[in-house]
Amino acid sequence: MTLGAIKKEHLGQLVAAVGAHGGFYGPVLRDNDVCLDQVQPSDTLVLDYANFTLPPKGLFFPRSEVIATHGADGMVETPLPTGKAVLFGVRPCDAMSLTYLDKVFMEAQFADPYYRARRERTLTIALACRDPAATCFCTSVAGSPSGQGGADILAVDIGDALVLESATPAGEAFLAEYRKLLGRPSDNQVKARDAQVAQAVRKVSSIGSDGVTARLQASSESAAWEELAERCLGCGVCTFLCPTCHCFGLYDEEVGPQGRRVRAQDACVFPAFTLEASGHNPRTRQGLRMRHRVMHKFCYTAQSFGDIFCVGCGRCIVNCPANMDIRETLTEVPP
Amino acid sequence: MIEGVATNPYLTLPVTVEKITVENDARDLKTFRLAFRHKADRKGFRHECGQFAMLSAPGAGECPVGIASSPTDEEYVEFTVKRYPTGVVTSALHSLEEGDRIGVRGPYGNGFPLAAMEGMNIVIVGGGFAFTTLRATIRYLLHERSRPRFKKITAIYGARSPGELLYKEELMAWQGSPDMDMHVTVDKGDKTWTGREGFVPTVLGEVKPGAANAVALVCGPPAMLRFTMKPLLDLGFPPNHIITSLERRMSCGIGKCGRCSIGGQYVCKDGPVFTYEQIMQLSGGQF
Ligand SMILES: Cc1cc2nc3c(=O)[nH]c(=O)nc-3n(C[C@H](O)[C@H](O)[C@H](O)COP(=O)(O)OP(=O)(O)OC[C@H]3O[C@@H](n4cnc5c(N)ncnc54)[C@H](O)[C@@H]3O)c2cc1C
Ligand code: SF4
Ligand code: SF4
Ligand code: FES
Repeated sequence: MTLGAIKKEHLGQLVAAVGAHGGFYGPVLRDNDVCLDQVQPSDTLVLDYANFTLPPKGLFFPRSEVIATHGADGMVETPLPTGKAVLFGVRPCDAMSLTYLDKVFMEAQFADPYYRARRERTLTIALACRDPAATCFCTSVAGSPSGQGGADILAVDIGDALVLESATPAGEAFLAEYRKLLGRPSDNQVKARDAQVAQAVRKVSSIGSDGVTARLQASSESAAWEELAERCLGCGVCTFLCPTCHCFGLYDEEVGPQGRRVRAQDACVFPAFTLEASGHNPRTRQGLRMRHRVMHKFCYTAQSFGDIFCVGCGRCIVNCPANMDIRETLTEVPP
Repeated sequence: MIEGVATNPYLTLPVTVEKITVENDARDLKTFRLAFRHKADRKGFRHECGQFAMLSAPGAGECPVGIASSPTDEEYVEFTVKRYPTGVVTSALHSLEEGDRIGVRGPYGNGFPLAAMEGMNIVIVGGGFAFTTLRATIRYLLHERSRPRFKKITAIYGARSPGELLYKEELMAWQGSPDMDMHVTVDKGDKTWTGREGFVPTVLGEVKPGAANAVALVCGPPAMLRFTMKPLLDLGFPPNHIITSLERRMSCGIGKCGRCSIGGQYVCKDGPVFTYEQIMQLSGGQF
């Protein structure tokens, strides 16, 4: 574990220094919204946001991408990104989500080369939360507003400066490489950081999700799923914005003489997702689809990977046009 | 070998359609014999009975299809595809001609646990066009190198009408073979049909294969599967000795895209072969 510190006014120098060797992705304004994007020389980093509307998964697993073109004698892979990149400013919940996606996309038997290339070139600096939103519940799902899971470095905002702490050897090497810009924090700065961390965690409310996996499992035949789903429009917002949802489809398109293969995010809340050519559909009703989405996150991944695939970011709560609230779903579905 | 293909599971291997056989009177079932365009690809494609592969027709996309040839058919791989009038890929495959180039990726899925079945009696029950991977299995079991490792082989296969039976020549040969006990049935015969009439589950009850030291491999449309479980259980087959293959809509074939899930498992990766015992746990017995 190594510490570092940087005055906020010097962040631009860090961006420039890192940017000279590769890409620097951080919180910047795009169309009046704070987004994670590649930082341009004209950009200033923005540090006061609860979280981004879009989760970081799109940087590694884009909404849609051409993965290969059809050649005369087989397929030609789209070149994979090379060079180093730094991802700065993801919230700890979202950094954690990347470790879950890793378990899907980087498992040994069939590693996903596109996701892997982007993940392996990226150093992640998470930014701890000062003011968690009312919809945040990371502490109920193995997280914390200053959690280090999925981050190489955790940065804590103490007002005029950030205090950094490495969480992995790669993070330690980064602090060493940029030591000139990232000095060592004073004792007072470390104290301020610890106070900051302690106050933030008290602001996150617990949703009482203890034993949720077993409870949901027992609820799989409950009529409550159909009742809950009556409100759901099946729009897919909750899945597209969820940092851990990773459903997708592969499509072949005829474009140009050879055609190409596209991979695009998809969502289990759509009826066509499971519709078979014969007309048979194993999940015909919205209740079955909603149950699947919730069970996948809170039961199936707990069984297959040992983790609940929800990081408590609250995006599905904030953005649902029908005011569905996963916190209520988890407590309302009776065993 | 093409660069990248070995490590990129989303890319298909180029194959040539060597031979197309129209299997049925309705002409919506065709068997495609494919040859790999690169020798190394054929070597790398080592499948087991019960596995499937993704077939892709140019511009149309991919779909999962069970491998209908046996691992002992070393020169080629075969797939039998049913065309759905609204099906994009199956229609594109049906419009192919011999000599055309398509793509294959796989093999995927777990396959039938044949190694664990050595020394046992094998009961094969198939209905309709889901007979493809069972055909691969029979070809494998009857091969001179494999046959001594298995005891009695009983197979029951049925289709709606005589014209809908797949692999007609092989069925003839198997019915005359001393190496197995083959029962072919049709729901309803026609003027020329001299064979058995009756639904597969009924015929199973008549043939009464013994359950002692036996495993049943069952493939068919969901309705047939449903009606076949009771006679098998009545004959004394325990649910973990009844083995079947499930179908779910697929896209990636490698346990990532989330499409084929059934109660926490992926049909593409954890299946498609499951025991009836597992299916009862995963989906309450829904096929
Ligand atoms: C493990 C497995 C083995 C199979 N084996 C055979 C076989 O040996 N012979 C055969 O004729 N058919 C088989 N099928 C069914 C076959 O995959 C579908 O008929 C085919 O996908 C329909 O594709 P389409 O593009 O014509 O239909 P569309 O309705 O246009 O479907 C679009 C896409 O949806 C997916 N899809 C649609 N229906 C299914 C389905 N039932 N299963 C999986 N994916 C689907 C495919 O990716 C397809 O490209 C198998 C399915 C599975 C899962
Ligand atoms: S965002 Fe809300 S309405 Fe839309 S699919 Fe999700 S739960 Fe249903
Ligand atoms: S389920 Fe909702 S709260 Fe949980 S990670 Fe996904 S979007 Fe965030
Ligand atoms: S087909 Fe993608 S997970 Fe099974």
